[in-house]
Amino acid sequence: MTDLALALLSGAVGGILIGLTPRAGNRLRNIVALVFSAASTVFSWRVAGAVFAGRTIRISGEIAGLAWSLQPDPLGAVFGLIVSTLWLFAGVYSFGYMAGEHKQRTYYTYFLLAFSVTLGVAFSGNLLALYLFYELLTFATYPLVIHERTSEAMKAGAKYIIYSLSGAGAILIAIIIVYSWTGNLEFAGGPLLAGGGLRPGLGWVLALFVAGFGVKAAIMPLHRWLPAAMCAPTPVSALLHAVAVVYSGVYGILRVIYSVFGHELTGQLHVGRILPWVAAFTILAGVIIATQQDELKRRLAYHTVSQLSYILLGAFTLHPWGLAGAICHMISYSTLKVTLFFGAGIIAKRTGKVRVSEMSGVGWQLPRTMAAFGVASLGMIGMLPLNTFWSKYYLMRGGVATGKWQLALVLITSGLINAFCFIPTVVAAFAGERGQPTLETGSGTSLMLAPMLLLAGIALLTGLWPGLVWPGVDAVVDWFF
Amino acid sequence: MLLMLLPIIPLLGIFALRGTRGKSINIPFVVSSLTLFMGQQVLRHALGGNPLTYRLPVSGPYVPTFQADALSAVFVLLTAFLWWIVSIYSPEYMKHEGGTRRFEISTLLTLSAILGVFLAGDFFTLLLFFELMTVASFFWVVHRWNNEAIRAGYFYLFFSIAGGLLLALGIVLVGTATPGLLAVGAGPVTPTNPQAFSWGVAAIAAGFGIKAGMAPLHLWLPHAHSVAPTPASALLSGLLIKVGAYGLIRTGELVGWGLELGHAATWLGPALTLLGTCTMLVGVIAALLQSDAKRLLAYHSVSQMGYIILGLGVGLFLGKTGGLGLLGSIYHVVNHALFKAALFLGVGVIYVRTGETNLYNLGGLWRSFPVTAVLMFLAVLGITGAPGLNGYASKTLLHHAVSEAARTGLPLMVWAERLFLLVGVGTAASFAKLFYLTFLGKPTKLAISGGTSQRFHVSMAALALIMVGVGFRPKLFLEALAVPTARALGMETAAATIAGLSFWNTGDVVGMLITLGLGMVVCWIGLTTGAFHWTPPRWLTLEGLGKIVCYGLGAVSRTGEGYYRSAMELVSDIGSTIISRLLSACHRLDHSRDGTIGNITLAGISADAAILLVVLAVLIVFYAYMEFGLPRLRLPASLPTWLRIPFESVPCLIAH
Repeated sequence: MTDLALALLSGAVGGILIGLTPRAGNRLRNIVALVFSAASTVFSWRVAGAVFAGRTIRISGEIAGLAWSLQPDPLGAVFGLIVSTLWLFAGVYSFGYMAGEHKQRTYYTYFLLAFSVTLGVAFSGNLLALYLFYELLTFATYPLVIHERTSEAMKAGAKYIIYSLSGAGAILIAIIIVYSWTGNLEFAGGPLLAGGGLRPGLGWVLALFVAGFGVKAAIMPLHRWLPAAMCAPTPVSALLHAVAVVYSGVYGILRVIYSVFGHELTGQLHVGRILPWVAAFTILAGVIIATQQDELKRRLAYHTVSQLSYILLGAFTLHPWGLAGAICHMISYSTLKVTLFFGAGIIAKRTGKVRVSEMSGVGWQLPRTMAAFGVASLGMIGMLPLNTFWSKYYLMRGGVATGKWQLALVLITSGLINAFCFIPTVVAAFAGERGQPTLETGSGTSLMLAPMLLLAGIALLTGLWPGLVWPGVDAVVDWFF
Repeated sequence: MLLMLLPIIPLLGIFALRGTRGKSINIPFVVSSLTLFMGQQVLRHALGGNPLTYRLPVSGPYVPTFQADALSAVFVLLTAFLWWIVSIYSPEYMKHEGGTRRFEISTLLTLSAILGVFLAGDFFTLLLFFELMTVASFFWVVHRWNNEAIRAGYFYLFFSIAGGLLLALGIVLVGTATPGLLAVGAGPVTPTNPQAFSWGVAAIAAGFGIKAGMAPLHLWLPHAHSVAPTPASALLSGLLIKVGAYGLIRTGELVGWGLELGHAATWLGPALTLLGTCTMLVGVIAALLQSDAKRLLAYHSVSQMGYIILGLGVGLFLGKTGGLGLLGSIYHVVNHALFKAALFLGVGVIYVRTGETNLYNLGGLWRSFPVTAVLMFLAVLGITGAPGLNGYASKTLLHHAVSEAARTGLPLMVWAERLFLLVGVGTAASFAKLFYLTFLGKPTKLAISGGTSQRFHVSMAALALIMVGVGFRPKLFLEALAVPTARALGMETAAATIAGLSFWNTGDVVGMLITLGLGMVVCWIGLTTGAFHWTPPRWLTLEGLGKIVCYGLGAVSRTGEGYYRSAMELVSDIGSTIISRLLSACHRLDHSRDGTIGNITLAGISADAAILLVVLAVLIVFYAYMEFGLPRLRLPASLPTWLRIPFESVPCLIAH
């Protein structure tokens, strides 16, 4: 319980402390940021460890007569682990990337606050807490989106706020309806609505929930804030807009399906049967649009849209294999996507090139960056030594096992389009004029490069030995089935 | 444990390369000698009929397993041997090409991957090494990094990736249809869900078919094999595509070798026969029309793979009596590796000395390259199937198998037999053309550079020696290696089928000689009439069709994107219109100096009062509703239930 409180508080306290540091004190600020995010990471690891060991950790209270609670279950623990681990990587990367940028104090303040809020989403134990943290996340990350303060950034920020808040509104309505039915919002006691049979309006509540969380999970056509938000600094794009923020939406949908409705009830609803095809459409449309983008970060953003729906697809199959695939993909996709974004950031920072069409010869200037980028691209196709293969494998099994073999075909097609999306970038980077790797030196670059290479290494390792992450996946599947 | 070591040795070689920078040690040679020696030591038992297995002691859903039965052993030894030969050849050649170190790294990586594929004990491990092989050999294809090489590289990579994905799909489908794990070399599976199993087998066969250059999935092959450096082409054509053949044999094993008809996926045999015949035909016709020596050889790889696939198909089709097809295929795998490598190496010698691979610019080179000409001639005799060389043995076996299948009277098999002979004529014709235009005919005007050729000659001579040896004692290989292999695959009757077989009967020899003679005639006609310069129209070639399809798909996707964009714009237009209307309405409410909003005159009422009025109105409506309720909505009965629900649930929500 202390671990849980400390995990949530250290981010918040760290953020506030950074807000109090002098504006010019770069050194001090970095130390504070590192210490507090490391502390938060360690505590959330401990929480996750306790959850996997089967212990119940719970903090609860009341707001205006409504009970809120924090009580991580295996799904929350997995999400917390992903977020906290990657946050550490992104933090180190930020030290390299943000050096010399303006408004660093604001950046780190909200960077840490967002950490704490995301962990809140992960560890929430009922719908109210989930909703509150989900709303807070929008506000905690808004300053990061508008970091550049250009008119483009302000526009993107406005878009982000409008999309997110409308989504949250839908969720609020749905939560009120659920509360009016059950008088209880806790996740711990099995699916909330499972006992009540097929109530009238159930499908609409599910649709409201999915649409609300789907804004952050970037289900098409609710995805448009995501490519716009790419004007944020790269560590933010990498961590928040490829993992933390978007995962909170995905996590919300997983919660709604498995903790609020339950997989059996969802399977009886029309909406539940339509949802896999919505995800399938997003997968294909997202990656096809991604191939048309010239700006690397926008390409990655549309690719995120597509990949998030892999996770949703797995969840929507309502089959243990599918859920296993979804959890696997949450883990594996996040490592690889952060690697890709880190690569894009290093390229932009060191060579100033942000467009795919300018990439010729970059590979020789930044060989290790592009090598890791290439490895991650192969992973996005779903080639075997990378961990995404396993998620894809289980997703396909889930699809086939529920009789929807077309979903497996969708995943295969998407894999091939992914190849068209990234391989030419990597090949073009090595095809041009041969230079010397002069740009890949200096402490700033190594602070960016080390997390990237480490993540690519982790992806390879967990791909060769999926048993490393399997206990977590297994625990989640066991929890819900 | 030792099984796992075999793929690791080449990886260690890569580290050794780092350590020996600047010294002239031929690491690939050392590594492949070591692999050959180790492989022979480790796999002796496997050849004797005692398969080896090794499971890595790890937890989780994926436990890497390695296995070696007789089939794996044959392929591993063939790989190690061919790599050994080529590593003698390549240092000298790569001096002319440049980028030796890059080449050596990708060579070693590919060796590791191929050994891994052959030694994999489950389909995941197989796929792992399969994908590694794709990536490693991609660097062979793009070695020159010019536009042509990169184009061919893309072709190769995307086709291979599609192959890997199809394999994954197949593993999923077969895995769903069978209880338990999918092991390689465990014999036929009894599926619980025959339909899923059938589709899974189709996907796996297509995945391996892409690697094997099976028509119509062979498009990548001629591009990739002709732009790679020659030693790489020799290995690509000699071994890499054999991975596809190996995979197809393993796919056949899932279905069952030597089983009577009626098992699951009965269609596999006839399908492979059909595709094999098409592959043979497409490859040989395209080869006849090539002017580039390496492209000609590459198309012949397609055609010869067709022989192998045809043999497998016939073997599966005939079931218990199909031993000849399987044996012929395995035999042809080995033979094709030998003579195709020799042919590529020979063409490479010519390229190094003259800088030219276009046949029409060469000629009369036997004077300058007597040794190469003799060795090439032997290889040409081998591939055309002349009696006394190795190609004759396997082609005879395959022909026997096809004739036996034709005796069943199935039109497909009858036609396969006829086309088999036709392809033999085409093969003879195109190689007569290759040899005539290169070594005989009018002497070329190209300058010929000097240099030592001993390594070239040694490697080619070693291949030729084995070819001649196999050719004179065709039964030796069959009895020593092919029969144990077939038995390990479950073809128990294999030994019996070849017991009464004689390779030196008049019928076969004369038939082969007639084929060769006809081939020469076709070649003469083609060269004198210029028929070999004919370029087929675009719609007739698969590549042209593929391009048309790709453009079509691109256009569809662009149109779709356009529609999507305009739809999105429409939505955002509507949204922003609504918002701006609302904003301006509020704005006017706040500044209603003249007291009108719209057409309603509200003189004297302030904005606050207006809002109050609106709120009051809403409240009155709400209370009225709570008191009296709405008149019940009558919904048409045809409305779907999921649409009816919200209307009916609104009152109950509020009542709660």
